[in-house]
Amino acid sequence: MLALLVYSCSSYSSEAVYGTTGNAASAGYNWVMTNVLPQQLGLSVNSVIYQYTTNKIAEDNMLVHVQNENARGPGYIFRETDDWSGLPGNTINKIVPVNMIDISYWGNGSIEVEGNGTVSDAGVYYSYQYIPCEDVQSDPTCPGYVDPTGASLVEQAIAVDTSSEEYIQNEIDRKANLKSQKEEEEREERQRVAKEKEEDIRDSLEVLLGLDLGASLQRAEDTLLHNALMATNYLPRSYFMAIKGGEYPDAEPLKDSKLPDSKRGLRVGLASELKHRQLVDLQYGNQPKEDQK
Amino acid sequence: MIKKTLLLLALGTFASSAIAEDMEVVGNVQSKCVVTPDTAGVYGNPSPDKLDSDPASGGVDPIVRYDVIQASYYKAKITYPNAFSEAPALADVVNWTGDTATSQVSDTGMSGYDAAKIEYDNVTEFSLTVAGSTWFKTETLAEYGYGKAFPAGVYRAVVTAECIAI
Repeated sequence: MLALLVYSCSSYSSEAVYGTTGNAASAGYNWVMTNVLPQQLGLSVNSVIYQYTTNKIAEDNMLVHVQNENARGPGYIFRETDDWSGLPGNTINKIVPVNMIDISYWGNGSIEVEGNGTVSDAGVYYSYQYIPCEDVQSDPTCPGYVDPTGASLVEQAIAVDTSSEEYIQNEIDRKANLKSQKEEEEREERQRVAKEKEEDIRDSLEVLLGLDLGASLQRAEDTLLHNALMATNYLPRSYFMAIKGGEYPDAEPLKDSKLPDSKRGLRVGLASELKHRQLVDLQYGNQPKEDQK
Repeated sequence: MIKKTLLLLALGTFASSAIAEDMEVVGNVQSKCVVTPDTAGVYGNPSPDKLDSDPASGGVDPIVRYDVIQASYYKAKITYPNAFSEAPALADVVNWTGDTATSQVSDTGMSGYDAAKIEYDNVTEFSLTVAGSTWFKTETLAEYGYGKAFPAGVYRAVVTAECIAI
């Protein structure tokens, strides 16, 4: 029994569903097929079943067409004609196999009468089959169905009991995890910025001190500039003269002795000192002393 | 003598090996005409002296379907009842009338069956000249005595439908 149950569950999506529509001609002798056939992907029609009663004089000519337009081209995808010419009226009940015509071909249907006579009590039914869940999005019960509106997620969220201890604990844990994760990201960002800054400083110092990777080598720009200067003979020749090494002693060393102050300089210094004092006294409102002059 | 005996034995052996065997040939013929009751009939009782299957009298006409695979090989023979198969004790005569006609057809050509049917006694015969399904409806009416009320009880009657090879 269990095996049978498992089998029936697993084979759900592959079993064809058979059905018959309601009376397509219940509201009139012209009908729209999208209102008649279930809009299932892969649905195909096996047969058309129809019945109607003709009211006519036996000697009259009368043709009755039961038909469906071809939705994907000109003409009809189904057209069955009953010739009642020279026959008394009766009720016809007919099953017409149509060999699995896809739903996309079935255009609008109608019952058309040619000649003298009328049709009444008409019924047109379509026998169809399809495999459910061929398009998993066609039915929410299909395995693998994805709710395009996300309503199921909202329902799940609503279904959670927010007052339960488990929910509260989970929320606390979730927030704690989020906080620690955020802190970790911030710490990594700080480290990254610090490392970049340190590398920039080191690079600039290396360039400044000529310690960078290309310091020992003459840069290409410098070489070009050097060659240009050499070509114009702009540089003085002394740039390229070697300086002789060795010791260069002082030519006339000073002898240690007492050096007397310059009298002229003394007078100038004293006069400057006196002038300075006068200016200071004027600043504090004192008259310069005559005796000090 | 022994030799005769042997000779007789030899002749006997020879004679037994020459006996012929009968071989059977079997064949199954599936009927190409199927008769299926479609609608059970009901008698209405529009007046005390009448039992009528006409829907206008509150009854239901019995309908039988003939499915013919091969055209023009069979005829339908339908007999409306002329006696009750079950009824209370009846002290007076019952007058029976009835009629059988096509009710539905699966081909317009069958619509001519009614014009060509043969009626005798309580029997109606139709030549099934078109392959397909034909529904025949039988009306049956029972009138008791001369305006006499039927006794209370259950009444049953039988419509017989046969498919006969022509």
